[in-house]
Amino acid sequence: MNFDFTPVFENYETLLTGAGYTILIAVLSGILSLVGGLAVALTTLYGNKAFSYPLRFFIWLFMGTPLLLQLYLLFFGLGQIGILIPAMLTGILGLGIHYMAYNADIFRATIESIEKGQNEAARSLGFGRMQTLWFFIVPQAVNRALPQLGNNMIIMLKDTSVLSVIGVAELVLNAQFEIANTFRPFEFYISVAVIYYILNLIMETSLNRFEKKLEGRR
Amino acid sequence: MDSNSKDDHANTGLMLDIINVKKAFGELKVLKGIDLQVQRGQIVSIIGSSGSGKSTLLRSINHLETIDDGEIWLDGVRVNQPGMKGLAFENHINSVRQNMGMVFQQFNLFPHLSTMDNVRLAPMKLKGIGKSEATEFCMELLEKVGLEAKADTYPSHLSGGQKQRVAIARALAMQPKVMLFDEATSALDPELVEEVNLVMKQLASEHMTMLIVTHEMNFASEVSDHVLFMDQGVVCEQGPPEQLFSNPKEERTREFLKKHLQQQ
Amino acid sequence: MDFALMWEITPLLLKAAWITVTISVLGFILGLLVATILVMMRASAFRLIRWPARIYVSVIRGTPFFVQLLIFYYGGSAFGINLDAYTAGVLALGLNIGAYMSEAIRGSLLAVDNGQNEASRSLGFSRTQTMISIILPQAAGLMIRSLGVLAVILIKGSSLVSIISVVELTYQSQRIISSTYKPFEVFAVSAGLYLILIYGVISFVDWLYNRYTRYLSH
Repeated sequence: MNFDFTPVFENYETLLTGAGYTILIAVLSGILSLVGGLAVALTTLYGNKAFSYPLRFFIWLFMGTPLLLQLYLLFFGLGQIGILIPAMLTGILGLGIHYMAYNADIFRATIESIEKGQNEAARSLGFGRMQTLWFFIVPQAVNRALPQLGNNMIIMLKDTSVLSVIGVAELVLNAQFEIANTFRPFEFYISVAVIYYILNLIMETSLNRFEKKLEGRR
Repeated sequence: MDSNSKDDHANTGLMLDIINVKKAFGELKVLKGIDLQVQRGQIVSIIGSSGSGKSTLLRSINHLETIDDGEIWLDGVRVNQPGMKGLAFENHINSVRQNMGMVFQQFNLFPHLSTMDNVRLAPMKLKGIGKSEATEFCMELLEKVGLEAKADTYPSHLSGGQKQRVAIARALAMQPKVMLFDEATSALDPELVEEVNLVMKQLASEHMTMLIVTHEMNFASEVSDHVLFMDQGVVCEQGPPEQLFSNPKEERTREFLKKHLQQQ
Repeated sequence: MDFALMWEITPLLLKAAWITVTISVLGFILGLLVATILVMMRASAFRLIRWPARIYVSVIRGTPFFVQLLIFYYGGSAFGINLDAYTAGVLALGLNIGAYMSEAIRGSLLAVDNGQNEASRSLGFSRTQTMISIILPQAAGLMIRSLGVLAVILIKGSSLVSIISVVELTYQSQRIISSTYKPFEVFAVSAGLYLILIYGVISFVDWLYNRYTRYLSH
């Protein structure tokens, strides 16, 4: 056994830069997956059949296949149809779309569960269909979905690491650059794991606090 | 307090001897030194408002709660054994519990087992009684509580009163020395209370030793030999039911009875 | 769409899918073993036994599986251990999913009303007898459900062992895409195989759950 963490300390800036990109990717993919997820859910529930059926198929397909396979499809597929974008953008899109399917599934279930009682109450007061949806059903559904959505975001943060496979320079790929120079895979990967653990811990505690705050308001 | 040997208590003739029992949940002192003696065949009821500690006392006797101080003796055997730890205590408490029948407010029947299996599981597994013999005497117990027709039914198909009668039969199946009732009818709809009370009265007439925590004053006065009124973790007053209910000495007892007899 | 190509690559991908199946099954079995040990450790009366299990679960859940896999495969050389890719994949999958399974099993056991435990103990049953005869049969339904969800996550997660060159479905798909430049055709076939696997498992778990709850409720 022979450990040497000095290469890690000497190159800590590469890791920190990578961690910065990991956070950036998580935030952007997260926003995409949440906004898109709500839009997809509403379309599958209330939209025109020409849109709702394909989107249902999209949810089913993307929940039933691995993230990595979807990333390959996007990475090679975009090139195939002549769209050339930076790997970082491909990664954010791929991760965002993957979790969009999961979030849409959650939104759909919570909207359906809220709708049953609230719809009649609001409509009987004279609110229109869209008004009922926006003022009564969606806010409550979002509120109720938050714990599960938060859980998805926690899983997504960890899944940003997979983007290194398609060349996104986040934490893992940056570590791999340094491993190629220093031949210290164990030390670097352990350090990477520690950084993820800290990021994950921060995210879990802040989500817990956020949820407690919301519960107090309910 | 060096009365740890069995001999000290073997000759007292007491079925239950509870000496200076104390119990706190964190800062909250729930039992502040309880003494209680129950003779063989005696029926003792404990009344008191919620939070008085009456349920905690009953649960402590079955060691579902661990007491902080004091002694609990069942027929000459010490239930709580402060010196005993780990597997030794586990074995000790399991054998002690086999001599006590506990009936819960929420019935706690095993939902995945039929009525018959609920009753005969313990005698078969703990006493090693064969299936046919166990079935036979458990059927007698079900007859006693009026549910022999429900032997193959599962708990989800029973009413609350029927569930509680099965729970009593289940506790009786271990042929316990004492029966502990923890608010046995509190969770029942009013019209189902009587069928459970009848079963308990029948047990009383057969001189089963019983310790009953209840909020039903009428039932307590009818069935008990002795009544305890507990308030804020102490036994405030005790005596025969005629005296305690019609001529209480303590102001707190009078207040409690006034409030609760009006309600009934 | 190049249907001839799709027909041509199907046998190759089927063979790779079989590796996905075996690696997932072995990972699941190892996971169950790990989870059982963890659950027993966490029920121990001794802090020195409880804490290592808690830390293990926290570390596994707090870091990406992808990084765990890299540590396992490339980090082993720091200890002088060189595992072949397949073994490393199975071990990493099992050790990872076992932590999640232990939480699922614990959750199912804790969901059984404590009155059941008290009733059983008050009759004189030991802790072990209570667990086997009273608690486990009632917890099993919920356990089937949550372990089923984890089985699906495991199958999707097994795609990541492609990065240590285990020739499973995602690895083979990626290799064919890079040699044919037909991402959509390849994706169509391998996604189809994943969908069969994943929705097959979901249907089986639903069937098992329904059968069990019907058996329980009589």
